[in-house]
Amino acid sequence: MSKKAKHTLLLVVVNLFFIVVCFFVLVPVLYAFSVSLNAENSLLGSDFSFLPRHMTLRNYRAVFTEKPVLLWLKNSLILAVATLVISLGTGIPAAYAFSRKRFPGRNAILKLLILLYAFPSLLSMTALYKLLSPMGLINTRTGLIIVYTGTMAVFALWNMKGYFDTIPVEIEEAAMIDGATQLEQVTKIVLPLAKPTIAVTAMMVLVYVWNEYIFAINFMTGSDTYTLAAGLYSLQATEMSGSWPIFSAASLIVSLPILIVFFALQKNMTEGLTSGGVKG
Amino acid sequence: MNKNRRETLFAYSWSLPSLLLILLIVIFPILYTGYISMTNMNIYHWNNYEFIGLENYKDALLVFDNGFLTALFVTVLWTVVNMVLQLVIAFIMATLLNIKGLRLRNVYRTLLIFPWAMPGYVSILLWKTGMFNSQFGLLNQWMEKLGLEPVRWLGSDVIAFISCTCVNLWLALPFMITIIDGALQSVDRSFYESALLDGATWLERTRYITIPMIRPIIAPSVMITTFTTFKQFDVIYLLTQQVGSKTGANIHTILTYAYEKAFITNNYGYSSAISILIFGMLLLFSFVTNGRKEEN
Repeated sequence: MSKKAKHTLLLVVVNLFFIVVCFFVLVPVLYAFSVSLNAENSLLGSDFSFLPRHMTLRNYRAVFTEKPVLLWLKNSLILAVATLVISLGTGIPAAYAFSRKRFPGRNAILKLLILLYAFPSLLSMTALYKLLSPMGLINTRTGLIIVYTGTMAVFALWNMKGYFDTIPVEIEEAAMIDGATQLEQVTKIVLPLAKPTIAVTAMMVLVYVWNEYIFAINFMTGSDTYTLAAGLYSLQATEMSGSWPIFSAASLIVSLPILIVFFALQKNMTEGLTSGGVKG
Repeated sequence: MNKNRRETLFAYSWSLPSLLLILLIVIFPILYTGYISMTNMNIYHWNNYEFIGLENYKDALLVFDNGFLTALFVTVLWTVVNMVLQLVIAFIMATLLNIKGLRLRNVYRTLLIFPWAMPGYVSILLWKTGMFNSQFGLLNQWMEKLGLEPVRWLGSDVIAFISCTCVNLWLALPFMITIIDGALQSVDRSFYESALLDGATWLERTRYITIPMIRPIIAPSVMITTFTTFKQFDVIYLLTQQVGSKTGANIHTILTYAYEKAFITNNYGYSSAISILIFGMLLLFSFVTNGRKEEN
């Protein structure tokens, strides 16, 4: 067999391999998608096929009419926006100060922040509960916002500081000579240049709040205060088998915004994460 | 006022809100966890707890039956198994993606990355109900078609560990494949050409060129992934130990163990001691890895 024929054969095998692998990678999602569209209740039958013979959107309608999904969505959005505003509002000036200024305590604080980044907030859940409960903040949005901002504050500071470091300081010095004040330097020069990192950090905060379920189910007690993640969790935990088609429809609805964001920002995300500030 | 003092004042006033937030919401609760860990706080002593010194730490480290040491062993095993499989599989996949003449490589890349794009907890719940469920899960439907007995995929320790590993690989491989894929593309082709002239086999080229070349590039990502694998909670908790729907498997990583002691058996003092021990281990790891980074 010639070298070329060998290589063609190799390519055929590799292509087949990837087609099979991709299918298996996508199976859990394809299956959920197919179940959510299936009009027949043939889940228990062995004649399941990936293309339902009778399609229906009934399960999707049920998600919005039978479950308080819109309320959960509202809760999630309020938490996400509040967390975002606080994390960026405090994180941007701090990241700028740590990137541009040299002052006593700077290195010690940066080292401390790396260590804190290693600490999963799940581990201080008891302490947070114990601290928030006498203030009447359990089962309130404020309580969760406090927890979420704390969790994201370290990440926001480090991630943006790392990016600010890559913006040449000469641009600001030139502006200073032209008489720009410190505040003008930041708002007119640094912020526009830092748009990519601000976008990535904002996205990470939103995705975190959108996906966080463990604090939400422990700190929120009524289902009308649930976030989307906590609501979805409650859908599967309470009515396991009965609502599997509705659950899969709800899962896909909840995932869709994240999927869109991910693929829209895929390049930034991978670069922002792999070359960004937070390492180890 | 001189320039230095002005800079310091500026820096602290601009970073004050952020640092205050971190101090109050991150550092203080950690210190408070340390305090709780030395008390007997539990569901019966929620407010009238007493200081008991290092009792909880003794319970965790010296009483084998309490399960912390087992959980620690499982966590180490989990981390090693997952990292080895991840690196090997991701390396093979990335190498295959870079084969010359593979026209559809970008299609495969996009499809393979899909699990990364899904919210993690949603994927895990879909795996739990869609794939592993013993009645209508897809895996058992396939088993039935093949004429095999249905399997309780999450029903006992060993098989649940394997199932959890599969889901974790499914979740984590896209990131690792992307990293190694990127690293492979940065290797200079001319090295391979001269190696080919010397008659080096594929294995030799991999061992002496590819791996040494990509190692420094992927090292930070591998480090981060090792940390997240060690701290993994969602996969094991959501698949096997949700409140009210435990599957019968009793595998614990240290994080699910700490969570169970706090929010299911309500032994807050003991659980806080576990938290502090875990934090100590994570700190030790970061010291070791940061130290090595600086040497390099």
